Amino acid sequence: MIQAAVISNGLEGLHRYYVSNNLVQYTVLEIDQYFNPNLDVFDLLIVPNGSDHIAMAKMKDTVSQFLNDGKALFCFDGWFTNWVPGNQWIMSNDKKTIDIRYRVHTDTYKLFDGIDINKLIYSHNISGWWACGYIEASKNAEVVLEDTWKRPIIVLDEKTTNGIMILTASGPLGDSGAIPSDEASSYTTLANLYQNMLHLIIKKKNNENHRITF
Amino acid sequence: MKTIGLLFNGVWSHYTFATAPKYKELIKLIYIHDFNEASLEGLEALIIPFQSNQKAIASKKELIYNFLSKGKKIFVEGDSSMEWLDAKWEDRPTNNYWWVENPNNPPISETDFTHPIYQGLSARHSCWHTHGAYTAIPSEAKSIQKHPNGEIISWETNQYGGTLFATTLDPIVEHGVQQITHLDNYVDKLIYWLSGNKVSGTFEVPKENYGISIEC
Repeated sequence: MIQAAVISNGLEGLHRYYVSNNLVQYTVLEIDQYFNPNLDVFDLLIVPNGSDHIAMAKMKDTVSQFLNDGKALFCFDGWFTNWVPGNQWIMSNDKKTIDIRYRVHTDTYKLFDGIDINKLIYSHNISGWWACGYIEASKNAEVVLEDTWKRPIIVLDEKTTNGIMILTASGPLGDSGAIPSDEASSYTTLANLYQNMLHLIIKKKNNENHRITF
Repeated sequence: MKTIGLLFNGVWSHYTFATAPKYKELIKLIYIHDFNEASLEGLEALIIPFQSNQKAIASKKELIYNFLSKGKKIFVEGDSSMEWLDAKWEDRPTNNYWWVENPNNPPISETDFTHPIYQGLSARHSCWHTHGAYTAIPSEAKSIQKHPNGEIISWETNQYGGTLFATTLDPIVEHGVQQITHLDNYVDKLIYWLSGNKVSGTFEVPKENYGISIEC
């Protein structure tokens, strides 16, 4: 089992999407005026859709240290502040959502195994419903998913820090699905993609625990 | 001159809206965890957007009602909490696709088009989707928009001194998200109603607005 911290911005529904189970223990960290949590006990930091990127920027050094300790970060939101090491999210309205399609670019860890990419592209036959904008990825990062214009939409970065970051361009994901999909098959896809990411983090932690050093 | 405050909890769509060149001269971002009496100096109106931190707002409700008692305007969108608002908001499934499947039947059946925000708007421009409904509103409030099943989507009251307008529409968040292209129509009327300032032009956010650092 891994320990995961979920940042809460006080929004309705967050607790429904991150329910502890036999793989992961979730601890919800509520943001307040003096927010600067100790992350030492956690393996994974989750910044869900609708997060507070002023609060995250204020704890930028804490996150950086957390990653340099070999821990993991999931960010499923649009970070307009510069708290994510080496990678920056950008919103842009110069592309039409009707033209948005996604393509798996490089998927070393097979995060898209069993995932129907069309469920991320379309909901009720409308495209561009899931993510917003794109990521300016670190040159060392792996672009897992890209859009019509080859802009990074999901990035996996284990080079910029000692840890691992999995970032979406504000595409919501959650343990049991995520806002905003109201179409059952898309909702399940969001959960399945998240589970693939979670299993990668669990596998890496187990490998770390079993490593013998001389 | 910035005469409209926007209570802000670090959500990206609030940020993009308030920092877009089209609106930035009129909108003052107020970070909810730093919100105090001084934050409201010089303001004529306050926006409380969808995806706000309701618990943090409730802890500072006196500031909001003091502002209102001075004859100011407050616009509340999306969800809300009974901890600070004398109305009951309830969640409902959001219909984002009616305009594809049934374009002549928006999920609003009644709109008071005499209200200044709605004057001159088409039915489609006055509703794109809703986030929940109000099942109870303040004693002297009047309904502005209703769902076909009778549930209230938008309402307004003057019983606290100024004008309090609440809606389960989300024009600020969606305009900040930049995916519904007709929202200039609604939001520009809203800005005029809140501040008396006419704005025009298209909504864009320059790339340099991203990747900012915060002074701690």
